[in-house]
Amino acid sequence: MSNLEISPEKAALTQPSSNQPDGPGKRIGKRGEIHVIGNVVPGGGKLFRDRIARFQAEAGYWEKRIGTVHDFRVILFDNDTRILVSAVYDGDFVPYLQDVVTQAGPWFDLLMPGVWEGFTCAADPATAKLIEQQAYTADAFYAANPDLTIKDIAKMRRLSEAVNEMLDAAN
Amino acid sequence: MAVELELEDIQGTVLRSRPMPYFGTYYVFTIDDAGSAITLIKRLLPHITPAAHWDAPPENAWINATFSWEGLRKLGLPREILNGFPREFIQGMAARKEFLGDVGVNDPSHWDMPHGGNGLDIGLLIMAGSPELRDVKAAIGREAVAGLGGLRTINRLDVGLPPTGREHFGFVDGISRPYIEGQGGNPLPGQPVAKAGEFVLGYENELGVIASGPGPEEFWRNSTYISLRKIHQDVAAFRRFLRDNAETPDGRELVAAQMMGRWRSGCPMALSPEKDDPEIAKDPMRNNDFTFRAEDPDGDRTAPGCHIRRVNPRDALDGTVVDMRLHRLLRRGSAYGPVLPEGVTEDDGVDRGLVLAIINANPGRQFEFVQSQWINDGDFISQGERSDPIAGRRDRSDEFAVPRPRHRYKGLAAFSQTRGGEHLFLPGLGGLRWMVENLGPH
Repeated sequence: MSNLEISPEKAALTQPSSNQPDGPGKRIGKRGEIHVIGNVVPGGGKLFRDRIARFQAEAGYWEKRIGTVHDFRVILFDNDTRILVSAVYDGDFVPYLQDVVTQAGPWFDLLMPGVWEGFTCAADPATAKLIEQQAYTADAFYAANPDLTIKDIAKMRRLSEAVNEMLDAAN
Repeated sequence: MAVELELEDIQGTVLRSRPMPYFGTYYVFTIDDAGSAITLIKRLLPHITPAAHWDAPPENAWINATFSWEGLRKLGLPREILNGFPREFIQGMAARKEFLGDVGVNDPSHWDMPHGGNGLDIGLLIMAGSPELRDVKAAIGREAVAGLGGLRTINRLDVGLPPTGREHFGFVDGISRPYIEGQGGNPLPGQPVAKAGEFVLGYENELGVIASGPGPEEFWRNSTYISLRKIHQDVAAFRRFLRDNAETPDGRELVAAQMMGRWRSGCPMALSPEKDDPEIAKDPMRNNDFTFRAEDPDGDRTAPGCHIRRVNPRDALDGTVVDMRLHRLLRRGSAYGPVLPEGVTEDDGVDRGLVLAIINANPGRQFEFVQSQWINDGDFISQGERSDPIAGRRDRSDEFAVPRPRHRYKGLAAFSQTRGGEHLFLPGLGGLRWMVENLGPH
């Protein structure tokens, strides 16, 4: 067996994944992934670095508001010529894209105009199209506990805390 | 500035609620020759009813014409215009079965109403306040097709209010709908105000832009999309479920109300959680005047997973990713098939159900979003795989949970099964004239 072949035992361990409806991104259970790669406007690197601290500071507020994102990254690379935005989140990508762009618009607008080529402001309906057009699907994707959403995890944490308090009280 | 809808140009069904009682017919045509289809539109045009005087129509009957993407292709609409339509309309509903949950018993292989992929090119909708008026309109339709060899009637479905005055599961239907800016009058208490562009192309929508279509404005102005669904209702299974989960008639009514979020009279559980109050149901100033997040965040009165909290979550999703304004539907439901006699709990094999004509300017973020994310999934309300207890798919979960008193119902059957569906284009009257002047055999 060459080292490129997969043994039946290893194949059986493969997590079943599917493509997101109507567009990019993989999905395992309830977990989805997306990577968006755009071009950076010349001079956008400086703007990006000027703004990134506030963007980072507000991440918790906006992501909590969105409520379905497990983790989220923004990376400037190739000498400030390209930007990568990636996320792992619950559910479908394209159906929720317009909602996310609308609801978290002020947060994206803190960072992206003048940095991401084509991104004028989140409220512009062209923004959702830009994101969809520049999105890529991961070739490999793994998700731990893929059937637990952010809401499920929060609920289980509350339950676990309550059980521990009950047990502590009993002792 | 106040929005002025061009009511003389919008086809009537967009704004007109169905009459009560109602008598209607859906005709499905296949185009074999574009010339015949153009002649049909030409003949129908003087009879197509606009939305003018929608609240007090001079004649309580109307006839409206719709087209599938395949129908527009056969009519000779140029490829660049065809390609500019929304992807849901281009692909057609049957092709989107996985996303819409039309699998298993809902699979298009079980559909008996044709879709765009197997013959639905033109759909004609007739709705009237009496059988006589319906027959007058139907005769107009028949005369319009007469002698046209290139057009075949491949399906016909009659709809009408059952003698009970309710849909087949026993609920009073059609109580809640959005108020469209520019429709005239004032919104009722609890009625959300929606931008006209959510329901008609050519007007500003909730994203602050003019909702538009492909090609010249004369073609798409005052048009919209109808997401049509034919839903078979397994009334016997529904009754058995109620019987098996409650000891008494009152108990069965409570189970039905928990599943719907309204008592079968239409009275919302939000306003009367313990018992039915038909007076509230009949009062348009009260029967929609309630919220969920502000007044019942945990679903103690109206269970989080019930039908009405799914199809119209009201304020329940405020502060979340979802922008409720982007997912509103204008729903026209009408029943078909005979009533299953009172008390019968075994299926008689007769087809009965509901035809839903859902009006939306953006089928992707309106009908398809509601169907896939809210009716057929439960994550948005922390209900996991659970789906709508009345209308949802059953291949992933057969449970429904009520928080107070805490109870988990199991063994929900596929009470509602898809038997047809298509996204249809409903042009304005000007659009129909443009089609007559610009399309057809060349």
